[in-house]
Amino acid sequence: MPEVYPQFEDIDQQQETYIVGMWAFLVNEVMFFGPLFFIYGLYAWKHNAVFYVTSHHLDYKIGALNTTILLISSWMVAMAVHYHQKNQLKKVCNMLWGAAVCGTLFLAIKLIFEWAPKFSHGLFPNPGFQSRYLAYYGADTNVDVARLFFSMYFAITGLHALHVLIGVLIFVWLIRLIKKRPDVITDYVPTEMVGLYWHFVDLVWIFLFPLFYLMPK
Amino acid sequence: MSSTVIEQAVEREEPAAPKKNYLNADHTIKSWLLTGDHKRIAVLYLISVTFFFFLGGLAAAFIRAELTSPMGTLLNSETYNKMFSAHGIIMIFFFLVAAIPAVLGNFLIPLMIGARDLAFPRLNLASWYVFMLGGLLFIIALIMGGVDAGWTFYTPLSSLYSQTQITLALVGLFLAGFSSIMTGVNFIATIHKMRAPGMTWFRLPLYVWSHYATSIIVILGTPVVAITLLLVALERGLRIGIFSPELGGDPVLFQHMFWFYSHPAVYIMLLPGMGIISEIMACFSRRPVFGYKFVAFSSMAIAGLGFLVWGHHMYVSSQSVYQGIIFSLISFLVAVPSAIKVFNWSLTMWKGSVIFSTPMIYALGFLGLFTIGGLTGLYLSAIGTDIHLTGTYFIVAHFHYVMVGGTVMAFLGGLHFWWPKMFGRMYSEFWGRVSAIVVFVGFNFTFFPQFILGYLGMPRRYHYYYIAPEWQIYNVLSTAGSTVLGIGFLMPVFYLLKSLKSGPIAGPNPWGATGLEWEAASSPPITLNFEGMPKVVGPVYNYDAIEDSESYRREMKEKVTK
Amino acid sequence: MSEHTSTTNGHGDHGHGDHGHSGHHVIPQAKLLQTFFVLMGLMIATVVAARLPYEGGVKGIPSAIAWLVLLGIAFWKAGLVVQIFMGVKYSTKLTKLYAYGGFFWVTLLGVTLFDYATRQLEPVQGWEPVAESALPR
Repeated sequence: MPEVYPQFEDIDQQQETYIVGMWAFLVNEVMFFGPLFFIYGLYAWKHNAVFYVTSHHLDYKIGALNTTILLISSWMVAMAVHYHQKNQLKKVCNMLWGAAVCGTLFLAIKLIFEWAPKFSHGLFPNPGFQSRYLAYYGADTNVDVARLFFSMYFAITGLHALHVLIGVLIFVWLIRLIKKRPDVITDYVPTEMVGLYWHFVDLVWIFLFPLFYLMPK
Repeated sequence: MSSTVIEQAVEREEPAAPKKNYLNADHTIKSWLLTGDHKRIAVLYLISVTFFFFLGGLAAAFIRAELTSPMGTLLNSETYNKMFSAHGIIMIFFFLVAAIPAVLGNFLIPLMIGARDLAFPRLNLASWYVFMLGGLLFIIALIMGGVDAGWTFYTPLSSLYSQTQITLALVGLFLAGFSSIMTGVNFIATIHKMRAPGMTWFRLPLYVWSHYATSIIVILGTPVVAITLLLVALERGLRIGIFSPELGGDPVLFQHMFWFYSHPAVYIMLLPGMGIISEIMACFSRRPVFGYKFVAFSSMAIAGLGFLVWGHHMYVSSQSVYQGIIFSLISFLVAVPSAIKVFNWSLTMWKGSVIFSTPMIYALGFLGLFTIGGLTGLYLSAIGTDIHLTGTYFIVAHFHYVMVGGTVMAFLGGLHFWWPKMFGRMYSEFWGRVSAIVVFVGFNFTFFPQFILGYLGMPRRYHYYYIAPEWQIYNVLSTAGSTVLGIGFLMPVFYLLKSLKSGPIAGPNPWGATGLEWEAASSPPITLNFEGMPKVVGPVYNYDAIEDSESYRREMKEKVTK
Repeated sequence: MSEHTSTTNGHGDHGHGDHGHSGHHVIPQAKLLQTFFVLMGLMIATVVAARLPYEGGVKGIPSAIAWLVLLGIAFWKAGLVVQIFMGVKYSTKLTKLYAYGGFFWVTLLGVTLFDYATRQLEPVQGWEPVAESALPR
């Protein structure tokens, strides 16, 4: 039987309140990522040619792979909510584990195949950026603006990766609670809230992927 | 208007304070620091924001002392910069933004809508801890040398050139921002879903409407400034170049992003105060608020329009002049909903039986000062006059009239109005009125001369003005006034604290006010707010001036002059 | 404020067994799976669309079409995730208001673009653009 906290009248009110609260939080997250995307869009417009050249130093195949992984995880989370509404807890945990593994895989690919090479090449905002960029790609474009591109790239993907990391940790925490503390997780709403968060993380990537990896001239 | 009928499952308490209430439910320190009770968290916030208020006031005292002489008196230039920065940052981010929502809003919203608590009590407690952590970081930044970029942190000074503790301060502000987001999310969920049976949207007190509008601004605006300040911190650490023109970035972009939040933030500070004024005006005029729906929707209009006027802070900072014209037009529009409120409050008093109790004196002070503050805002939203007045003491006087004359007066008025509800005891009405008048007089002496100074061209944030020694008289006048103002602010600390020990027992409804918090809850309320679930069947603000004006007036006069 | 009337009674008086409420809608497995495959298809489509050879440079029409296609697909995908995975399609008006209100409000940042469209972004002295810089001078 779901537990109703003392400030609520009944379980319906409690569940609806939690969903409203979660959406209010997500609105806040939208406004949190919004300025970053806006600033990126502004500079992509103002420095179009440079950003076009520089964006091709990112590998769209890795981006597509990561998109696939996030979409799979998003589906798994949606399935977890589905099973939780049907109260099939074993399947909920399986789906959440799957999503957590996907999230970890996403971070690993990001770190090993994208950030690590960029860092070892010195292609992150640092005083030696100019010479390293010239050494790797030649004077193919305005290097200072190229640096701006990489700044935005690390700022947005970094903040997104932080959200993925938090999401994975929440998955693990939620699975533990479902298994060990049936007195805390008494209905599907916690899974639903975690799911909403994770779908939001997916949404960010849905916009991030074409804007950074597939930029047309 | 028909009379209110408020049914309760259990009969009303006797006028004495209830034996068990939220204050004495538990006595350990732990029960306060780990509480989920919105009323206790409000008290924790009250203590914190009072501390920050006097800390910021101390910085203001140094500024005023420095300006008494054209050559300065005691601070060198760097220290002066740090002093006004500290004053601005503490007052705005750690007092004004948090003061009314986190103290009075936290305490009253569940009581007013008939809920047992806010929707997410643990989130509420977490917001206090995050707020305190942010404040602690900022105080550490102060101790380690302070911040000299002003409260606006304009780039490139804040990002590339300043050698002070800006990064630490930015992290502190980031946390304070998250604290207000947590409160905002909590209020939105609570107001939407936790209203008592029969408490429809148009039976909500206007106080709740204004907090709803505020919470909307908080969740839509605060994250924008949070990420912007984070980018400035990254720019300091890593030179990422987003706001650096030498790397292809644009420093004006920072101003866009900053004011996208910080202009609506003015309304975050002001709207809850307007809600308080609606309550006080109705209660002490014994009339329903005139034009309830207009006042309610003007709160929402202010919240919406407030987001479209940020460019009026940037007329002279190389923003496109075409955009300046549009922002100027929309800025004039914001005056409309604000004026609706002022006119409606004035009409509320008309033909009412006005009782000049302490909260009412504060509310009347608000009305006058906010009107002056708002109207001088129109000078500043016109591009032509703004070019002369921007960056001068005219601006300083304008926003102090809005922030201190508006928000702080409303906060003090609300604190006096609900003090009996919060702690169950009456304060000394005599000293209350004296302090309200002292604050009003001191405030005008402090800030009115600054309008003249600004018109004469004295720039803000400068501490030497030996090029124009004739400004000294106004500065001295202002400093003298600020001393009076400071005394006015200190007085409530003494008589309010004294009332906690020896004030007369207030009873559940000392003002004869309407609203669930007065009519259905005891003073101080019990931990779960109501005995049973209140049910609302009548309209809000059920005062009737004709019915009970004369007898009531006599009775109340006796009560408040006691 | 579209839900004044619909949620006037904050404390619902329906019993616990009432699952007719939209908040409890269980989205069928087939629908979720179908959505997933559509999303994958759109992802492949966006990659293919971006790899098509566009000739004609910055000012040519093809690149504008490419932008439109890419962003259009991104919004389509986002819409699917919000509507189906996040269940907004099946939820209350209030949830819809917040879900779409947030995405609407973030576009207000775009007002700033008007500023950048009507003035030049001037680099400071010491900033020397190389020949290919797209910066208008």
